[in-house]
Amino acid sequence: MSTPAFDQLFRAAGVTGWLYAADVDTGHDVGHGADEPMPTASMFKVPLLVALCRRADAGLLDLTERVTVTAADRVGGPTGLSSMLDDVTISLRDLAYLMIALSDNTAADKLLGRVGFEAINTMLDTFGLEGTRVVQGSGEMLGSMDVDTGHAWPFVDPDDIARLSVLDPSRTNRSTPREMVRLFGMIWRDEAASPESCAWMRGVLNMQVWPHRMASGFPYDDVAVSGKTGTMPTLRCETGVVEYPDGGRYAVSVFTRSFSTALNQPRADAVIGTAARMAVDHLRR
Amino acid sequence: MDLVRHLRYFIVVAEELHFGNAAIRLGMAQPPLSQRIKRLEEELGVRLFDRSARQVRLTEPGRLLLSEAREIVGRVDRLHELARQGGRGTVLRVGVPPDLAATVLAALVAAFRESSPEVRLAPAEVWTADQVTALAEGTIDVGLVRHPVAAPGLTFGQVLVQAQGVLLAESDPLAGVGEVHLADLAGRELLMPPKEGEPGWRAEVLTECRRQGFVPAQVHEGAGLGLVLAGAAVAFGPRMELPGLAWRPLLGSPITSRVSTAWRAATPAVGDFSAAAARTLKESAGMTDEGAAPVRRVSRRPGMLA
Repeated sequence: MSTPAFDQLFRAAGVTGWLYAADVDTGHDVGHGADEPMPTASMFKVPLLVALCRRADAGLLDLTERVTVTAADRVGGPTGLSSMLDDVTISLRDLAYLMIALSDNTAADKLLGRVGFEAINTMLDTFGLEGTRVVQGSGEMLGSMDVDTGHAWPFVDPDDIARLSVLDPSRTNRSTPREMVRLFGMIWRDEAASPESCAWMRGVLNMQVWPHRMASGFPYDDVAVSGKTGTMPTLRCETGVVEYPDGGRYAVSVFTRSFSTALNQPRADAVIGTAARMAVDHLRR
Repeated sequence: MDLVRHLRYFIVVAEELHFGNAAIRLGMAQPPLSQRIKRLEEELGVRLFDRSARQVRLTEPGRLLLSEAREIVGRVDRLHELARQGGRGTVLRVGVPPDLAATVLAALVAAFRESSPEVRLAPAEVWTADQVTALAEGTIDVGLVRHPVAAPGLTFGQVLVQAQGVLLAESDPLAGVGEVHLADLAGRELLMPPKEGEPGWRAEVLTECRRQGFVPAQVHEGAGLGLVLAGAAVAFGPRMELPGLAWRPLLGSPITSRVSTAWRAATPAVGDFSAAAARTLKESAGMTDEGAAPVRRVSRRPGMLA
């Protein structure tokens, strides 16, 4: 059967797109530039989540331990602790919830401080995901944009965009559509950590608040969409798992780069859902 | 033979591509016109027209010779014009953008005639980049240029600005809304002045469009609004009323046109023209003094970095 016309779909939305989708249980798959190295933006929080769980499984840390997040810990960001004003005392697992459900940058960097880059990258090597690397925290990523452009947010000039190192996979956190899908598949098959930890991660990923990307492609009460988005100027991505009422489960990863530098581009967000839907329909045929 | 006269016949036939119509325009009968074209072809040793199949068409050599013929005839006309003036009064050669509204050009000529009746104005339609060249070569004395433009040795008059709206076909769904956001134009093609002629303005406009969510699939070049009338493209421009077209303001005034006069050698006539141009453009083209550019607000929404 012929591959869906992803190129045409992406072009009509004003973006270039890369995609990979696989049936979690059979491995039946479809791709469009599936092995392209891409910056992961906030999706780096997923390997961090998995590494956190594995450390807890190994008894190296307690997810119910309470930590205090102070002004010194706070990094920029539009959601969660990043946008709050006062000190917060919170458990590690609730930090993880904020990091995934709201993409809270401060929560992510606080957890990254406990887990460390080495543990994450070693784990990724064990998983055979050599194209996936975590080398920067959220604060570092945001700070690099000010340095690269010489000014503060917003970044909408095409010249500024060309200078951003957070859009260059060789200089920032990176992965490929295929490897992101493999990581999500491992979480859904209880292979990424202990079954209890994987079940908890699936629950947290299912509580992500954003409805405008992958979830928009599956507007049905009986279809579950869990996932994690990533966003940088002109870069929009999401990896998730779509679960159908008949038990079919599909991991999908979509990355897009928009031609326009505008920050508000509902069509570019929605095409992530449309493309994911096309891929899942293709796998279910 | 009178080569110049024959070239004039050639130009008219080339424009009409019909010997009968050309003869009417020239106020002569068709047979002598045909004969003269034949004589010109013998003189030049090439066939200028393909007369087969009841249809007159320019041959390839004819097409090449046509622009040369136009230049020769234009220069001869200018020679006569200068001779007629016989040194009485001076001529100010002015470059104006080809897409300057006819009414504005008329007002400009009238205002200058009033302030400097002894100087005759010779306007030529030239795009900004070509005006810069013409000023450097001394083929025009003063220009009316679009910014941004930079060229060593040029002096600019007062810069005037005008917020541009969008021109759409009447049938475009956006023709019915009060004002249009640049992002609303997504999916449409854009008509702009030629790249070689207006490089600065074109780059500025396309960058702003991209920044605000409008990346035209194709950018057409030209000054005529035919493509817009046909609904095949949109264009930016000042408010205008034309049958079949709709003009709508752009939300937030993202596209502005900035123009000024430009010259290399300051003469009293250049100074007078510059003053008259600034006055007229304000009065009849709705332009205003250049103020501080408004800072565009970018609203912050959580999903932008999540």
